[in-house]
Amino acid sequence: MNNTQAVGSNKQDAHNRERCNSNPTTSPVKNGALQALTAAALVLPGLVLSTVEASNVSTDSFSFQYSRFQEGKRNLFTVPNNLKPIEAEVIHASGNLLLTDRVKFSYNYSRDTWAGATPVTTAPLAANGNRPILKNTADGLVTAGASPFVNTQILLDRQLNPIRQDPLTGQVIGKDTRAVEILSSASPETRNAADFKLGYEWNEAAVDFGGGISVEKDFNSSYGNVSGRLDFNQKLTSLKFGSGYSSSTTSAILDHDLVPYLTKTAYLNQIESRGGSEILHGSRQDWMGNVGLTQILGKSSLLNANIGYTHSAGFMENPYKAMTVIFVDPESFNNNLDTPIVGNVRALIEQRPDIRNQVAISSQYIQHIRPLDAALHLNYKFSFDDWGINTNTFVADWVQPLGSGWSLTPRVRYYSQEAANFYQPFLFSRQAFSQNAVDASGREIWVDANNPNVQYVRDNNFNLLDGEGKLVNESLLNVQPKSVPFNANKLPDNFSSDHRLSGYGSLSGGVTLNKQLVRGVELQAGFEYYTRASTLKLGGSGGTSFADFDFYVANAVIKVNVEQFNFMGGGSSSSGSGAHQGHSVHKHHHGGQIPAGIMYGHMLDKAGDVMVGYRFMHSRQAGDILQGTRVVSDQTVVDQGCSDALNCRFVPTYMNMNMHMLEVMYAPTHWLNVMLMPSFVDMGMNIRGLSGRSAPVPGVHEHTGIAGHATGGVGDTNVTSLIKLYTAPGHWFHLGLGFSAPTGDVGRQFRRVFQIDGGIAHFDMQLGSGTWDFLPSLTYTGEHDRWTWGAQLYGVKRMEDQNKSGYRLGDLFQATTWGGYRLMPWLSATVRGIYTGKDTIRGDFNVFNGRIGPQDFPSNSGGRFWDVGLGLNASIPRGKYAGNRLSFEWLQPIQDDVNGYQLERKGALAATWNYSF
Amino acid sequence: MKIQRSILTILILAVSVGLSGCISLAPWERGNLAKPQMALDPHPMQSVIRAHNYGSRESGASVNAAGGGGGCGCF
Repeated sequence: MNNTQAVGSNKQDAHNRERCNSNPTTSPVKNGALQALTAAALVLPGLVLSTVEASNVSTDSFSFQYSRFQEGKRNLFTVPNNLKPIEAEVIHASGNLLLTDRVKFSYNYSRDTWAGATPVTTAPLAANGNRPILKNTADGLVTAGASPFVNTQILLDRQLNPIRQDPLTGQVIGKDTRAVEILSSASPETRNAADFKLGYEWNEAAVDFGGGISVEKDFNSSYGNVSGRLDFNQKLTSLKFGSGYSSSTTSAILDHDLVPYLTKTAYLNQIESRGGSEILHGSRQDWMGNVGLTQILGKSSLLNANIGYTHSAGFMENPYKAMTVIFVDPESFNNNLDTPIVGNVRALIEQRPDIRNQVAISSQYIQHIRPLDAALHLNYKFSFDDWGINTNTFVADWVQPLGSGWSLTPRVRYYSQEAANFYQPFLFSRQAFSQNAVDASGREIWVDANNPNVQYVRDNNFNLLDGEGKLVNESLLNVQPKSVPFNANKLPDNFSSDHRLSGYGSLSGGVTLNKQLVRGVELQAGFEYYTRASTLKLGGSGGTSFADFDFYVANAVIKVNVEQFNFMGGGSSSSGSGAHQGHSVHKHHHGGQIPAGIMYGHMLDKAGDVMVGYRFMHSRQAGDILQGTRVVSDQTVVDQGCSDALNCRFVPTYMNMNMHMLEVMYAPTHWLNVMLMPSFVDMGMNIRGLSGRSAPVPGVHEHTGIAGHATGGVGDTNVTSLIKLYTAPGHWFHLGLGFSAPTGDVGRQFRRVFQIDGGIAHFDMQLGSGTWDFLPSLTYTGEHDRWTWGAQLYGVKRMEDQNKSGYRLGDLFQATTWGGYRLMPWLSATVRGIYTGKDTIRGDFNVFNGRIGPQDFPSNSGGRFWDVGLGLNASIPRGKYAGNRLSFEWLQPIQDDVNGYQLERKGALAATWNYSF
Repeated sequence: MKIQRSILTILILAVSVGLSGCISLAPWERGNLAKPQMALDPHPMQSVIRAHNYGSRESGASVNAAGGGGGCGCF
């Protein structure tokens, strides 16, 4: 795939050059002829490029992508599904850097956040596993939704067909063999992944070394790979090969809502109990190898074929998926009647084989359609493995350039898979789930619950006897019948009801729209709709229509092609004295000295300038609970931290916030800049019980176990204009007038646990303010010789009384001043002082909230805060990376004076990268 | 079925290798092939997301799993 990407960027590059050359107005007069000739030469890719595969003449580029995955609601048949379906948001940043003519470095970073309802198992519909949630309304008692219920009993006829009863009245409805997924909601979780690749290119060969990690709360994976390419036959043929290894560990905190009802006997050696949680550990290794061939078939077509093999060993279960097993005691058949029998419905953690060998074969044919200048891409993939999963995938793309930099790509995909040979929606086992143990004489065995190793029996008069037949004083013991669990050997070796291992087909279609802007900036938006249907399976229905679902994915990409800009920009720059092969000298910019934590700190110099940037902020709170400026005891928080009516029970142990922000800045005139800044946030928090807290309140969400909480997704979006007020040599003074649009959700909820709603998440865990906010700022910056300095006043005024959840965040005022010194032409250091005043939250949640601690009460927000910032700024004045600026700043809290009771702050890191042209 | 498909793919490979001997393209005849719409993957960023979404919902193997470490896909 990486090879594929490289080819993509390479050809894009050639095309971009073609576009550059076709616009003579951007070429300087002096070097125009030379550049035009160079460009013309580059357009003929055969002269310098491998037509088939990437050569190293690719460009430096940076891309940023946002994607949203939204699943539709699953069908529960007999009860309404009130659970939010799975939704996932992904941000993805990627870069390609040419370190030398032959050495290329690329990286990817992505962060996923997801939440929503997911199937934990499949059960007969008659088992009523989605138990109705009843609510009183003005119209009487209604079924508002469902909550999972995996341990129950079911009526069966003598052929083991389920018989459905009304869940409320118990009245027999009749035989019903349908299955249904049992859904459980999941609180939000995040995944972070990063990888890199370092490649070296020869004229007719290439080698790449790569590696990466993927980190989740419950799943970590690290991997490395090596791949290569050999070109033959005047680069009409390319042979690709690669191999990789990955090592993964699972540490899954078993769902504490499900744990009491889950049968875990097969994994007792892998389950650790810690802090009230049960953690299932597993590890897995994968070895991969692939070989591929790309062949040019003619002037307008090519073929690409690959074969890949993966060997996996270890723990491949999904630790959150259970198999519903219906235990039927054989004795219940022995009465010669035809009345219904009772099955004992239990959920067992699924068991998959520990080895998997997969082979995938793919072929791709690409044809240029000359009359429309379009390209038709046809893909077919077949894969099979020793789990019995055969898959077929057909994909067709039509890439249609539309002129003026636009292109449109409709796409259709069909996929079909056979079921794994151990997939079953649910299982029957003709044995009792547990039964009373008997001795050789057929007498029931009894044990003392406090000392289960000593066994007793009873005589005909129900007297308790020990092993030697002596009478025992029962009043001194706590005896109960000894139970024998089911015989696991009578179950299949492997079983799973994960619908992803079932037989089904899917059809999806979508469209991608690309727009190539001037100066190497490319925008892309895509949409795809996907529907899974059992009946779409090749060769007949998969019989799993109960698991049908659909989803859509929307994504947006911005790509900045650095070299292309320089090629053009070098031509357009009046100061292009150093222009050499498109590498312009970048004008020194006073904005390069501003600390990373400052927003709206500098303006673009002249009309038409554009800046794109990325801003990252991480802040952490941890440690003591403060009241005002002093540390308070747990008991004080219990008594005073919440409300008169309710004592506090929990406080945060830590609270982390990460914000990723994209910055796009444009100067329509020399005195006005406009900025657009979408943001993406994620929060993590854990809490602890306060010592001296009161007993749990029935019906209120009670936090148990060691798992923390996380939320994340799109944050608020800023739109700001900066207006130049005064400029003199060494002095700049500008005004910022901004607005923040409430694109961040303020309705994030914790999941329902133990049949109790989790309620809305704490104020600080919501993704935005939920209100339209006004953001004014006033900034002064100065510069003399190696010294720089500046000051800024910044405010946030909430323009609405409340957001959709019933509250509004406090207004904010910040004053800051800094000084900096240029250590080297490209590097400067800054020191900054910051005062922040923040008002308390007004209003309160208008929906249910657990009220477990100070973080849930509006009066415990805001305060007065003093920080010192230490920063480093690097800006690249010349060469191919001219125009890039990178800044870091650490903000160290000096003093907190909080309103009410709040967790102390530990510090914040700000990092920015921006590139102006 | 499995074997038939494997044979078909091998045949395609063999034919393409065979064809390669018959083709000769001068550099200036490669213009169409160099167009962005002819790239093996015209939308590489989108493909990463797609592979992740399909991978979390389907069980098919990848021809190039060497990228590795797709995460749990536990949702």
